Amino acid sequence: MKKLMKALAIAAAVLVAQGAHAEDKKFTVAYIAPSLDIDYWQWVAHGVQQKAKDLGMNYVEYTSENSPAKQMDNARVAVTRGVNAVVIGPVSSTSTPPLLAYLAQQKVPVAFAGIGPQPGQTNYTSSVTANNYETGLAQGKYTCELAKERGGKEVGMLSLPQDRENAQKYLKGAKEAFQANGCELVQMLETKGLTINEAVTQANDLLTAHPNVKAIYGMYDQAGSGAAKALATRGLTGKVGVTVADGSPTTIQLLKDGAIQGIFFQEAVGQGIDATEQVYKALKGEKTTQNMALVMPLVKAADISSDAAKKVIARVFPQ
Amino acid sequence: MNTKAQPMTSNDSLPPAPRAPSILSAYRSEMAIAIACIALLVGVGIFVPAALSAGNFANILQASAPLVIMSLGVLVVIITGGIDLSVGSIFSLTGMVTALAMANGFGDVSASLAGLGVGLVFGSINGALITLVGLAPFVVTLITYAVAASLAFIVTNGRSLGVDSPDYWLFNSGQIIPGLPNFVLFCLLFTVALEFVLRKVTAGRWFYSVGSSPMAAYLLGIPVKRTRFAAYVISGTMASFAGLLTVSYILNAEATAGASLMLQAIAAVVIGGASLSGGSGSAVGAVLGALMITIIQNGVNLIGINSFWQGSVTGLAILVAVLIDRFSHR
Repeated sequence: MKKLMKALAIAAAVLVAQGAHAEDKKFTVAYIAPSLDIDYWQWVAHGVQQKAKDLGMNYVEYTSENSPAKQMDNARVAVTRGVNAVVIGPVSSTSTPPLLAYLAQQKVPVAFAGIGPQPGQTNYTSSVTANNYETGLAQGKYTCELAKERGGKEVGMLSLPQDRENAQKYLKGAKEAFQANGCELVQMLETKGLTINEAVTQANDLLTAHPNVKAIYGMYDQAGSGAAKALATRGLTGKVGVTVADGSPTTIQLLKDGAIQGIFFQEAVGQGIDATEQVYKALKGEKTTQNMALVMPLVKAADISSDAAKKVIARVFPQ
Repeated sequence: MNTKAQPMTSNDSLPPAPRAPSILSAYRSEMAIAIACIALLVGVGIFVPAALSAGNFANILQASAPLVIMSLGVLVVIITGGIDLSVGSIFSLTGMVTALAMANGFGDVSASLAGLGVGLVFGSINGALITLVGLAPFVVTLITYAVAASLAFIVTNGRSLGVDSPDYWLFNSGQIIPGLPNFVLFCLLFTVALEFVLRKVTAGRWFYSVGSSPMAAYLLGIPVKRTRFAAYVISGTMASFAGLLTVSYILNAEATAGASLMLQAIAAVVIGGASLSGGSGSAVGAVLGALMITIIQNGVNLIGINSFWQGSVTGLAILVAVLIDRFSHR
C-alpha cells in the first residue's frame, strides 16, 4: 500500500510538472521570406521579430530564395520544428495555394505580409499588404502636380516588372490619376535588376527620349535614387520632380536634400508587426481581420522632421 | 616529370608573328562590329533623334564604362581558353567592401585599395585553384562567384551602403585631363594598354599561345600555369576596378549591383570576336562588344520597347556577330 501511495505521489508530481511546463510553453512564429537578401524583407522580418518578442513568442526565420519549392520545404521544416504560426511573404501569389492547403491541414494559422495570396484563396488568417492601387492613384496625382508646378504635363515612370501584381495595381492607379489630372505618361521603363545603377541609366534614357518630362514616378526605392542621380548629373535637380514608393534611409536623405519631392512609404516593419499580431490572435482564439490593405502615407520634404513623419518611418525600417 | 616550364628568353621560339598586317585586315572583325554599332545608333536615331545627341553618347559611354573594363579582364581569361564566372560577384563585393571601409573611417584611397584587393584576392584564388590544384575554371569560378556573392551580403547584412565622402565622385566623373571624364580616360587607357600588351609584348602573346594549345605552349617553354594565373588575377582586379567606378558614379554600394554584368561581359567578349575555346580575341573587339550591348539597351529604352526584350535582342546581336566573324574569316 505504501509503495502504491508512493507511486501515485510520483505520478501526480510528474503530471503537475508537465502541466506547469505546458503553461510556460511559448508560441513560436516562423517568418518565411521570399528572399532575405532584399532590404524590404529584412525589415518585415524585423517587424515580425519585434512583435513576437512583445507578445512573448519565439521567432524563427527562413528564406525561400525566390523558389516556390524552397518555400514549400520551409513550411514543412517549420511545421516539423513545431512552430505554431507562420507569417509569410510568398515568392509569388500563384505559389500560395499548395502552401495554404498544407498549413491548413496542419492547423497552423498563416498571415501574409507584403505580398498577398492568390485571388480566390480563403484558407488563411490574414493578409497584410500595401494598397497598391490607392497608392498608385495618390502617387500619380502628386507626380502630376509636381509636373504642372514645373510648367509641363509630361511624366515618366520607372516601374517594377509588370509581371508582378503589385506593379500592375500601381500602374493602373497611376494611369487613372494622370488622366484625371491632365498629365501624360510618355514612357514607362521596367526594371530587371532593381539596382540604382540600372535606374540611373533608365532615367537618363527616359530624359533623352522625352526632354519635356517634368516629373518622374519611381515605383520602387532604387528608382527614386537613380532618377535623382540622373537629374543631378544633368543639372535638373528640382527642375524635374521625383516621387518614389517604398522609402529607405537613402531616399529619405535625398528627400531632405531636395532631390526627391515625396516618398510614399511602404510600412515593411508595420506589415510584419500587424501580420504577427493577427496570427497571435488566431492562436488565442480571438477575432482576426482577413484583409488589411495598408495605405502608403506620403511624406514630403517639408514634413520629414515632423512627429507624424517619424511615426510613419518607424513602421518602415528598423531605427 | 618536370612540370615547370622554362620561361622564354626570346621571341624566336614563339610561332612567327604575322608580318605587319594593315589596320584594315588586322581589325576586320572589329570594324564590322563598329559598323554594326553605328548602324544600330542610326537605326534608333530614326525613331528617336535624340539618340544621336552628344548627351546620349555621354550616357552610353557612362553606362558602358564598368562593362568595358570588366570585359577587358574577362577577355584575357577567355583568350587563355578559360572562363571567369566570378566577376559579377567580385564587382558587387568590391563596392560593399569599399563603402564599408569608408563608413568605418578609411580614406577614399585606402578604401578603394581595400576594394581593389577583393579582385586581387579572388583572382588569385581562382588562378591558384585552376593552375595549382587543376580544377576546371568553370567549377572554380562558379564557387568563387557564389562565395563572393554571399560575402557581399554578409559584410553589411544585406543592406545597401551610401558613400558620404564628398570627393569620391571625382574618381569616376572628375577630369584628370580637362574635357575628358575619368571613366572614359580609364576605358581608353586600359584598352590601349591591353591591346598593346596582347599584340606587341611577348608575355601578352603567351595568353594566345596558352589558349590555342596549352601543350604546344608548354613545349615551347611558355609558363602556362603562370600565364593562366595572371589571366585570372587580371580579370578579378579589372572587375574590382569596374566596381569602384560604379560606386564612385552612384555613391552607393549594393550587394546585387554586379548580378547581371558577368553574362554581359562574356557576351561582350564573344561579340567582340573572341572564341570561347580560346586563342583569339582583342581588346578593341571586347570594348566594341560592350558598347554594342549598351547601345542595344539604350536603344530599347529610347524607343520604348519592353526592357524584357533586351535579352533577346542581345542574343540576336551575339548570333549576328558570330556569323559575321565566321564569314569574315572565310
